[in-house]
Formats: sequence, structure tokens, C-alpha cells
Amino acid sequence: MHENNRMFITGIGAISAAGSNVADTLDSFSLKNRNAGAVTLFDTPLKYPVFEVNKIPDEHYLEGQRTLSLALCAVIEALNDAHMEGDLSKYRLGISMGTTVASQLNDLDFYKSYRSTGSASMTSVDRYLKGNLAEFILRKIGARGPALTVVNACSSGTDAIGVALSWLNNGLCDIAIAGGADELNRIPLCGFGALGIVSMDLCAPFDRDRNGLNLGEGAGILILETKESARKRGITSDLFLAGYGSSSDAYHLTAPHPEGKGLKISLQKALIDAGIKPEEVSFVNAHGTATPDNDLVEGKVLAEIFGTDLKMLSTKGFTGHTLGAAGGLEAVFTASALREGWIPASIGFKNKDEAIPLTPVRERTVINGRYAVSTSLAFGGNNAAIVIGKV
Amino acid sequence: MNILGIGIVFNRGRGINCFENALQEGWQGPAEVEVPYLKNKKSFVYQVDSQTISDKTLLRKMRRSDKLSKMAVLSASDALKSSGIENLSPSPNPSSRHIGREGEKIGVIVATAFGAHVKTFDFLDDILDYGEDSVSPTTFSNSVHNAAASYVSSTLDIHGPTLTVTQFYFSFQYAMQLARAWLNEKRCDYILVGAVEQYGDVLGYVYDCKLTPAPDGRIKPFNFNPTFQVPGEGAVFFLMGRENSENSFCEVENIMIGEYREFKTGVDLNIIDTDGMLPDESVYMQSISPDIHTAAYSPLFGSMMTGSAFNCAAGALMLKNQKYYANPVLDNPHGINILIGNNPPISKGGMGGFSEQTKRSDIELIRCIRYSCHSEKAAIYLRKNH
Repeated sequence: MHENNRMFITGIGAISAAGSNVADTLDSFSLKNRNAGAVTLFDTPLKYPVFEVNKIPDEHYLEGQRTLSLALCAVIEALNDAHMEGDLSKYRLGISMGTTVASQLNDLDFYKSYRSTGSASMTSVDRYLKGNLAEFILRKIGARGPALTVVNACSSGTDAIGVALSWLNNGLCDIAIAGGADELNRIPLCGFGALGIVSMDLCAPFDRDRNGLNLGEGAGILILETKESARKRGITSDLFLAGYGSSSDAYHLTAPHPEGKGLKISLQKALIDAGIKPEEVSFVNAHGTATPDNDLVEGKVLAEIFGTDLKMLSTKGFTGHTLGAAGGLEAVFTASALREGWIPASIGFKNKDEAIPLTPVRERTVINGRYAVSTSLAFGGNNAAIVIGKV
Repeated sequence: MNILGIGIVFNRGRGINCFENALQEGWQGPAEVEVPYLKNKKSFVYQVDSQTISDKTLLRKMRRSDKLSKMAVLSASDALKSSGIENLSPSPNPSSRHIGREGEKIGVIVATAFGAHVKTFDFLDDILDYGEDSVSPTTFSNSVHNAAASYVSSTLDIHGPTLTVTQFYFSFQYAMQLARAWLNEKRCDYILVGAVEQYGDVLGYVYDCKLTPAPDGRIKPFNFNPTFQVPGEGAVFFLMGRENSENSFCEVENIMIGEYREFKTGVDLNIIDTDGMLPDESVYMQSISPDIHTAAYSPLFGSMMTGSAFNCAAGALMLKNQKYYANPVLDNPHGINILIGNNPPISKGGMGGFSEQTKRSDIELIRCIRYSCHSEKAAIYLRKNH
């Protein structure tokens, strides 16, 4: 990407089990807090540990629309961080949001009633129809610009950031709210459980003894902005989105390509898009779900591209796998780490897996450098990577 | 950006030629289908039959996938073939699905409003019938929103970015807009942009609760208020590229969404997305001009949130073939200037109206218009390739 096409990151916002805002999250990272526990949001016989958000502030809480509530928390934090308050209709402001749960009409009570009686209340349908994530945010904050919800499974958040980058590059908006949001929901909990990839223990990304992921929930948002727009608003930023790459494995619906073909291509594209070389990357915030397949493939590909001395981590030990929110949250964490100059321990990792040629950081680690990468691998074989830079 | 190829699956068959035949033949009544859980009730539906999606060669590795994914894969494959671009056509040899190095240069963007909702309800059946700890992993993995796009890329060996986007009113328009952005940025050389929707009885129930079913199975696109819907299903894929080619259909000159300044000069035909999916479609009257013919083809394929893609396919065919296709349903209580009969192309008189006295000319520009329930507007402008 040409230097001039790099987009400022003028605001960030995050909510997850690790914290209800970016500052609290960084504290959790520093203190190695893992706020996991049993499911409390709904009754279930499934005993997997999960990473639930402790409390959604009342002002953002929407009954029966948890994903939207989470999104709103992170969006408002990011907008405040970007000094965008009050009337937003004066901006050409786009909304590109990734999700999985909010895209589906999967209300069990609605369906149970329909199935047993042939009729059902339209309440949950109405909520669903008004709950398209990007459209909801657009109307809620009074933005005027493109609004699109990306539903690319676990890479949704990263791909939504990529979509926003393309909008900005093509002049379709001047500022974009980009990221992802997802609630902890019964349907993916059952589904991932059935696939046999959920751990009964706290997840251990890249560890020799890893045995599956933990589900989580949250939202992570970047405010992306052209330099010209930031200049007009009288602000600047030390962070920018440098590049994005995406590629499909074209291999399997649920398993990654054994050689990580799509991940490799997406990383190469992201680096080319950013106009940098692998050695300029100071660390990688890996997808690192703690499933045997994901971490093996991802570890091999990262080592191949960046070398075995790469500083890398997975933050899923702090948040769980937040599905459509993961790419957004991890983009925020990556940006924050560049800004703060340190990355947290890759929590949950204890023992090196000899089949994986690199080792995640075990402790809070100082980083120097201008660039970092965040990766996402998705159900369906899509892979996405972004490069974030620091001025 | 140019439309290089089109693939389509709808209730009257598979392939762009099939769609062209439907445009020429006009309206045919939809099927009446039984509705499970609702005794003695039948609904009109423009349903794709199993024969249409029974391609055993192309679908041999996705036997357990759902109808949504199958419709998407077939139409995406047909869009590649229809382009006539040799190195993009999937291999006819079932043991080799490779389309070569070009696979990295092709992107996929799938637009859908409701996605794999039928599989989602199957999964809910699993939970209700067998319990949360005894559900089918296969049903779950096929119920995710991006399953159809994933099958497109894996079946056709496409390694470019593969994206699924959803929005209730303009997901197809946004997908087209993003495709143009990707082509501009040279992220891809070609992009398969598609829309896919599936009918299911639960969705049909929601339609019936929210909207008015057409009592005679006939969507009346020029009624505007009241409106009548007949659920449809199917898939349309467009192969998009920067340059036109020998088989190109037309250029996508512009995609406008939301607030924008309209340009009406030189438009030969307005195609509107009226299909009964809004209880009141009077807002479309704002975009209709007495000087420009208006068409709506939803009675051929049914009511769908991404029906714009089918109307765009009709527009692209008209530009390629330089031939108008008559409106399939002619009820016209507001007396607007609708396309009647397969009129030969005649030049615009005055402000763009048709007159027997004016000389015949090419069809140059078609505007495909859609409104949301919030009266927001989107338009895709299709222009004849030169």
C-alpha cells in the first residue's frame, strides 16, 4: 500500500471478559487475569468453561440483543477515543462490522413454539430484523455512509476491517467504524462442542497439551480515518492500518489446509499491501485458538514467513474465542501493544510443542518496532491478516 | 467494472439461457407447497426443484451440504463458464477441479439476507430432539452463514478472498460496490459476486406474518400499495472484471447507495425491485419517470431480499442481446410507463420517452433501483459495452 493510503487508527474500543474497556483489558493482561467460568447467560447441560463479559453498562444494554449491546460499548469507547462526539451525521462515516451470531435467526423459544403449535410470537423476529449489526450501529449513532455486516465466521472481524480499508481507499467514506462483535450463545456452544474442539479446561494456545478452545464474547472496534479527514478534524494518531490480505484455503469446511496455504497467501498479501518485509514485523498476535489443528498449522506458517525467533502470542487465553468479534478485539490488542511497547504473556502456554517451530511469549514482553500483524483463520477456510503500524 | 459472465439457478431452471427463456416466455404460476407443522395449509413458492441442483459431477464432494450452498456453487461455476474465458473455466474432469494459478486472482463475495436459515432450524431441531450434547456437527458446520461461499471456493479451487456479507436491503449492492473497490485496488483480477437465498417453511411463516401473501400466486410489482409477495429462492453469480471481454454482458457503470445525486440522463429503462417485500412500495414512484419505461421481473423468480441480483441479470441480458423483455405481469393501476411486449429498441424521444416516430437505437443504460423500508435508495447503473 502506498504510504499515503495508510489509514490512521484514530480510536479504539474493546469489551470482553478481559475488561469492559481498553484500559481495564490492559490491566488484565498485565496481571494475567483469566476471567473464565461456567455459563451463566443461559441454562445448559454443557460444562465447558467460557469467557463471559462481566457486566454491560446499563446505558448500552439492550434487552435480548446482547451482541448489539457489546458492539455499542466498544463503538462508543472508540468514538470517544477518536474525539467524535455529538452529531455524527456531518461525517461520511461507514460501518463495517463482523459477527456470526447476530446474523442468524436462531431463537430457540421462537422455533419451539412454531414447531409445536404452528405459530410463534414475532418479537424475536422483529429483534432479528432490526438487529443487523452494521445497520443497527449506523442508525443508533446517526451515521451517514456505507453499512455492511461481514459474516465470515471467525475471520469476520478482520475481514470487516479489510472491507473498511477498501472503502476508505476508494473514497466511499472518510471515516470507518470497523471491527466485530459476538455474544456467547447456545448455538455455537453446542455446535463447537459437537465438533469436539471445545476444551473442558482453560484453553492453552500453542501448548503441547492443548485440547481445544473456550468460547467467549465481546466486541473490538477500530476507528479508521483518512489523513485528510483527521487533518480537517484537527487530530492525528500514532497508529495506522498499513495493510490487509485475505485468501481462501479452498480445502475443507471446518479444517485448515494442512500446509496453511490460504494463511500463507493472506499474510504475503497483507505484507505486500503494507509495503513491508517480514523482518519489519515486531510481533504477531496469532489466531491461536488452542485447537490442535489451528495452532499447528498457524505456528508452522508463521515460522516459515517470519522465522522461528518471532515474538508471537495468542490473546484467546484472556478472552476465549469470541468468533466474529475476535478479529476486531485482536486488532485493538495489537494496536494497543504497539502503542504501549509491550505484549502480554500468551496465557495458558506452558510446554513447547515440538511440532510447532516457534514458541509464544511466556511473560509480558517489551517490543520495539513499527509494525505488528494480527491473523484470523475461519470456518469455511478463509484466512485474513492485517498489518498495523506505529508512526 | 464489467459483467463477464452470469450463472443463475432459479425456479425455472439453471443457466443464463434458462433465465433468458423465462424472460421471453413470461409469467408462469409458482408451485404450491405443503407447509410442515401447519395442517391443511399450502403456500405459493417459486421453489428450485431437486432436479435443477442435481449436478453429480460438480457437487460430488458436497453431497451433505444444503440447498443454499448447492445453488451457490452451481451458479458460480456457470458464471465462470459463461464468461468464456478459457483459463477460468473449472475443469470438466471431475478428478481435477483446478482452474490453475488463476484461482488466486479470483475473489468471491456472497450476499445473502437470511443465509443458511434452513440448516440453522435443522440444528435447532437437533437441540430440541436430542439435547445440547447430542447435536450433529455436520448440521452445525453447514449452518454457518459463510458455508455457501466456502463451498464455492473449495469446489471451484478459488484462493482469493472469500467473503459473505449480509444486510437486509442492500447486501447485493454493497457486494457489487466492494467488488469494484477490490478490482480498483488490484486485490483480485476477477470477482464472483453472488446473491443466494433459500426458501424454508419458517421463513415462509415469517413472510406470511409480516407481509401479504399473493392469493393467486401473482406478484404485482406495479401495485405499490397494497403489495403481495410470493417467496422465491435461487442464486445468481456475476463474474466481474476490470476489462470487458468477447462475451461480456455489460459494464457496471455506477453503484449508488444511500444519499446521492441522481442522474437520469440517457437512462433507457428503469428496473425496479418491487416484489411485495415491503408492505408499501409507493416510494418507488419517486424514481419512476413517464419518459422512461419501467420493468420489474420479480414475478419470474419470486420475492427475495436479494432479488436485485436477478433484476440485474435481466438488465445485463438486455444490454448484451440489445433486446427488451416485457414485464411478466402487466397489472398497472397507476398507469405508469411500463414495458409491454418485447419492444424493439427505439430511441428516446424528448426527455427519453419512446415514440414510434423516433428512430431506433441501442439500449445504452439501464438503472436497477431498490429501496429499503427506511426509504433509502440504491441504484446499479448498467451500460452497454462498447
